[in-house]
Amino acid sequence: MSILQAQGLSKKFGGLDAVSELSFAVEAKEIFAIIGPNGAGKTTTLNMISGLIKPSAGKLKLNGQEISIKDSAERCHLGLGRAFQVVQPFPEMTVEENVLVGALFGKSGVSEATGRKLAQEVLKQTGLLALKDTPAEELTLLQEKRLEIARALATQPKVLLLDEVMAGLRPGEARQAVELVKNIRNKGVTIVFIEHVMPVVRDLADRVMVMDYGKKLAEGSYQQVTNNPQVIEAYLGAEE
Amino acid sequence: MDLTLLLQGIVSGILASGLYALVSVGLALAIGVIGIVNFAHGEFFMVGAFITYQLFISFGFDPVISLFFVAPTLFLLGGAIYQSSIRYVLKAPELNQMLLTFGISIILQNLALLIWGGDPRTISSVAYRSIGYQLGGVSIGLVPLASFLISLVIVGSLYYALLKTPAGRAMRAVAQNRMGASLIGLEVNRVYLVTFALSALLAGLGGVMIAVIQSPTPIVGFAFTLKAFAIVVLAGLGNIRGILWASLVVALSESLVATLVPNGDALRNAVFFAIIFVVLIARSRRLA
Repeated sequence: MSILQAQGLSKKFGGLDAVSELSFAVEAKEIFAIIGPNGAGKTTTLNMISGLIKPSAGKLKLNGQEISIKDSAERCHLGLGRAFQVVQPFPEMTVEENVLVGALFGKSGVSEATGRKLAQEVLKQTGLLALKDTPAEELTLLQEKRLEIARALATQPKVLLLDEVMAGLRPGEARQAVELVKNIRNKGVTIVFIEHVMPVVRDLADRVMVMDYGKKLAEGSYQQVTNNPQVIEAYLGAEE
Repeated sequence: MDLTLLLQGIVSGILASGLYALVSVGLALAIGVIGIVNFAHGEFFMVGAFITYQLFISFGFDPVISLFFVAPTLFLLGGAIYQSSIRYVLKAPELNQMLLTFGISIILQNLALLIWGGDPRTISSVAYRSIGYQLGGVSIGLVPLASFLISLVIVGSLYYALLKTPAGRAMRAVAQNRMGASLIGLEVNRVYLVTFALSALLAGLGGVMIAVIQSPTPIVGFAFTLKAFAIVVLAGLGNIRGILWASLVVALSESLVATLVPNGDALRNAVFFAIIFVVLIARSRRLA
């Protein structure tokens, strides 16, 4: 059974169909990329999955359970984690406390001691251990992005949504981030990510869904979609 | 200038600052965490004072014991007001929010007038009310001293709770980034509910103390809303850490004006307005 399923997902903003009739399924432990030109509806889709905006129509299932009517916090408790393109840290808390808060509230009934242990592991995994006492507002962009991922990981997600986490990173940094994401998947977390940097998509994605004008244009391996004439015309061709 | 009078003014100001911090920190929580400017904050204080008075008159409860009754009662009252009204205006324009809390303030004031009338109510027969100490010409009342110490303990515990307990971390997380908080599983509305209830509780505890220090009337809340606003504005809107020193500055200014300026006692409220004006003007000049 697919771990994350969308059926007929639609979102209208006024008269605009930001996303229309979108259906897809992500398998457990898969790395699933969503790509498409600006305004294709990728972030709207991610916002609907994480519960920040309500779909106009359609259904969402996480692990077979209907989540469309649940709010962000409930979805988090059910195993949905999210890291943003524009990072959303708690600026006046230290790196460690940011992650600890994720650990404490991401699942119900996590004690302070368990939370601290979990935070410690996640900090190690994301390479932030040396910065644990630094206030989040003093981090560099790369560090902020790591923190964003670390805090989401601390909520113990089954599915992690990554919204252009590579944006603004230098090539060397992006390579580090790619390794980190692979490492997270190897621990059993399913990844759904939006990305503009094509080499990153190539290196990471098991499967790619291409969106354009709110609709699914193509779906398949990186090779398949990048050789699809429709995709080339709508997306890759338009970039040259 | 009379040195004893100056010292007396300073000591009285310091002693008052504890209670001021206790009341203001609740208002700062509501503003900082929920983002609601609560003009009814002083009414929670007033309700705390009158419950203390009633418990004393009806059952002979010592005000110190009343602290333990007023705390849960005001927590529930604050929670009920949040659930029945405040939560519906969180996304409304600020003017609507202010009008709502102003309306709540008028309702609570008039309910108190209906029940207790407009005369000052005094808890006169507690023995410790008249105990005082003389230190080189400066008199220190036991009640203001005790209220100062109790307030400091409560505010200190609150600071500790905010820094180290899960509920406190939740409040700070929501205050610093509401969306980030909801995405890591924090039920933002529940955090708001608890914060508002806690804010009412803190004001109510202050009310217990004023019931012994002064002889409150149902409009005592307004004066304390004003004091609390002066302190919160001076500390920086929603800044909880700054409350302690801001309380000290406001309480000292009030006390020194009242003791040193001829007819200064009538100018107490002018001090708060003056602080609000000066701080707001200074801040906006810096921004401009």
